Amino acid sequence: MGFWDAVTEIIDAATPWATVEAEAPADIPAESAPAAESTEETTAETEAEEPAAAADEAEEEAEEEEEEDEDEIVDPKETLEEECRNSKECAPAKHHYDECVARVTGGTGAEGEDCVEEFFHLAHCATQCAAPKLWNVLK
Amino acid sequence: MLARTALRSTRTFASAKNGAFKFAKRSASTQSSGAAAESPLRLNIAAAAATAVAAGSIAWYYHLYGSASAMTPAEEGLHASKYPWVHQQWFKTFDHQALRRGFQVYREVCASCHSLSRVPYRSLVGTILTVDEAKALAEENEYDTEPNDQGEIEKRPGKLSDYLPDPYKNDEAARFANNGALPPDLSLIVKARHGGCDYIFSLLTGYPDEPPAGATVGAGLNFNPYFPGTGIAMARVLYDGLVDYEDGTPASTSQMAKDVVEFLNWAAEPEMDDRKRMGMKVLVVTSVLFAMSVWVKRYKWAWLKSRKIVYDPPKESATRH
Repeated sequence: MGFWDAVTEIIDAATPWATVEAEAPADIPAESAPAAESTEETTAETEAEEPAAAADEAEEEAEEEEEEDEDEIVDPKETLEEECRNSKECAPAKHHYDECVARVTGGTGAEGEDCVEEFFHLAHCATQCAAPKLWNVLK
Repeated sequence: MLARTALRSTRTFASAKNGAFKFAKRSASTQSSGAAAESPLRLNIAAAAATAVAAGSIAWYYHLYGSASAMTPAEEGLHASKYPWVHQQWFKTFDHQALRRGFQVYREVCASCHSLSRVPYRSLVGTILTVDEAKALAEENEYDTEPNDQGEIEKRPGKLSDYLPDPYKNDEAARFANNGALPPDLSLIVKARHGGCDYIFSLLTGYPDEPPAGATVGAGLNFNPYFPGTGIAMARVLYDGLVDYEDGTPASTSQMAKDVVEFLNWAAEPEMDDRKRMGMKVLVVTSVLFAMSVWVKRYKWAWLKSRKIVYDPPKESATRH
């Protein structure tokens, strides 16, 4: 969108005879993606009408594809925080946490000891380090 | 003793200021405090007794309750890290695409337990949904009508003026359905929690895979470091790919949490966009008025500020009068 488009839009919006419309958002890429899927499904269904066995196979394939699509989503927060946890920045906190876990699970710690405080320090360090990176990734 | 010395010093100061007038009073006060200064033994005994009582009270507490495990970090909960929310910047509005996604997450995930009772359908129009979408959504639910001719209250489909329906009839039903825990209303939750958006985002995404070693988690509770006490009745609800976004955004856990938190911030502060615009207007208008007032003042005072008072002494004349 050019500069003059912006100017004309502002003028259009400011004119008293202009109407404000709550338009549905135009999601061109979003609509195209499900449309492609639906066409695939319809083709699968048309194939399915002929032999029953082929239909089952096609459905199974479609389901597998969907499952694969879901599996592809990886939470960037997890990966970024994992990176941060292993970074040099959080090395002291991680060292203390690991030591505490070894102590408590090994049974050499004080009675009723838990690693919540060490966990907090590590989590604080990791989230603090990952926060700006995460916001660059998320929409 | 301290108070007495303080009093005395002020008195001496006052008398010094007032000179001889207060002299008699000062001498009287120094005489009266002389008695206490004579017996340091009594003071030492009092101090020792106070210390013994203080130490004894601590010892007594330990005897009664064992080691003090109060004010632990777990009790306080982990403070959420600050996230660079765009909509919280001064000159930024809500991302209304994010609000739309967040509303979808609320409707498909949160709404089964949490009410949003202060948000009517009409407020969604133009901010999150179109008029037709909001009307269609409202009509999915039934609401009470006015009493008819026989005084019966019938049901009618929802209108834009109706409020979002509650998942439970009342708080007791909500507690009963959730193992005794009441899911709070989310209308003002961003304002109602310390840490606001950061806290809710961290809470939603912060469930660890397993609680840290040695941590005790109560029956029916889940470990969440951000919840004060770390035992929260709500289990983790957001998982990757739980929601199919209509705009094709990959629905990772953090993306859904971010969107729904921004939506909840909108629910708590629907006036934010307008408020920021109004603030901008106020700044512009007041700065112009201030500049004008400065110039007007300079104009009005110009005659006074630019005048010059000259003392022209008479010339020394040789003759004396």
